[in-house]
Amino acid sequence: MRLTIINGSPRGEASNTGALFSHFIRGFEETSGNRAEVLYIIKNLKTLNVLVDAFRTAEAVLLGFPLYVDTMPGSFKMFLEALEPLAGRDNNPPMGFLIQNGFPETYHNRFAARYMEKFAKRMGCRCFGSILKGGCEGLSIQPAFLTEKYFTYLYEIGKAFGERGVLDERLLEKLAQPEHLTSENIAQVVPFVNKALWDSQLEANGALEKSFDRPYQP
Amino acid sequence: MKIAIINGNPRESDQAFDGYLETLAASLGDMDHEVTVHGLRGMQIIPCRGCFDCWVKTPGICRFKDDAVELCKSYISSNFVVLASPVIMGYTSALLKNAMDRLIPLIHPYLRDEHGEVHHLPRYDAYPLMGLLLSPEPSTDREDVEIITDIYRRACINVMSELKFVEFSEKPAREVANAINNN
Repeated sequence: MRLTIINGSPRGEASNTGALFSHFIRGFEETSGNRAEVLYIIKNLKTLNVLVDAFRTAEAVLLGFPLYVDTMPGSFKMFLEALEPLAGRDNNPPMGFLIQNGFPETYHNRFAARYMEKFAKRMGCRCFGSILKGGCEGLSIQPAFLTEKYFTYLYEIGKAFGERGVLDERLLEKLAQPEHLTSENIAQVVPFVNKALWDSQLEANGALEKSFDRPYQP
Repeated sequence: MKIAIINGNPRESDQAFDGYLETLAASLGDMDHEVTVHGLRGMQIIPCRGCFDCWVKTPGICRFKDDAVELCKSYISSNFVVLASPVIMGYTSALLKNAMDRLIPLIHPYLRDEHGEVHHLPRYDAYPLMGLLLSPEPSTDREDVEIITDIYRRACINVMSELKFVEFSEKPAREVANAINNN
């Protein structure tokens, strides 16, 4: 199978979305003859037609993005709007999605996934499912025991997709854990993330004291 | 009240939608509200790059000095914000979404517990209420409206807001003005 992956992260190649994709691809390409090609929205903002053409001729498409303001980034929506002329065409490729977010829970992604699945219907594409994962901000600075778990699931999901052409529901569910957090979990996780992820960056930038600045206070 | 109307209509040819918003602004003006209309089509707003400088380097300020600065200022000084857009491929316009993405300097990166879900902390004391004004595309159905409404409701949580209405531009502007006036 030839799989066209479109990475909709505004961070491009250095994105958390890209890290997740790379492990999916590693599994996917284990089946001989499988090949994944990755294209980036951010590199084609002024040449969206390149992405539209890739979509038009694709065998299967996997679209991925980080959650921005509870749904797709605006730049990704630009691409979706550019696809409008192909809506309802007879031979549109089957499509699936990878949506990740920075909050600890996967639940936040469900609403964007519902939108994307309706989008597939609107395009007249068969939808082969959505890979959803929370807790993905700062993957490169998260403890390895956490990220290795995510990456292994992504690898297994990619491998199963490469072999059978479907996203394995059981693996998707495992990857999506935690879907929600208990209030005890939140009480532990929130101060940890605020310190390890945000304070550390604020401090490195000498901006910790300015963290609560209100430059546009009316 | 201070009211901002953010016009996310990307189509020069759709003058009816722009005209509707002008009528809405005039009606609100008649009710003694201070109204600003932001026509996004004529503004330069670079899509967010996700660099988080506005959270960890220059808190509250984006690295891009474009028209999103004016938009952020207007947004945070308003009591009510009307987000207006035609529905395109089942959602509000990319033009509007790019503008929304550039509002994140208005919130804080820290996380908080909001009714058992993790969301962001506010940066400012007060945030405007929100209303969504749409014009449908031919394929718009009940499910689309539900999807849009759910996503905007969730977006409201992170900006300490509340989605007061989702209306379509078929509704007389005067009635939408009344709905805003009653807040």
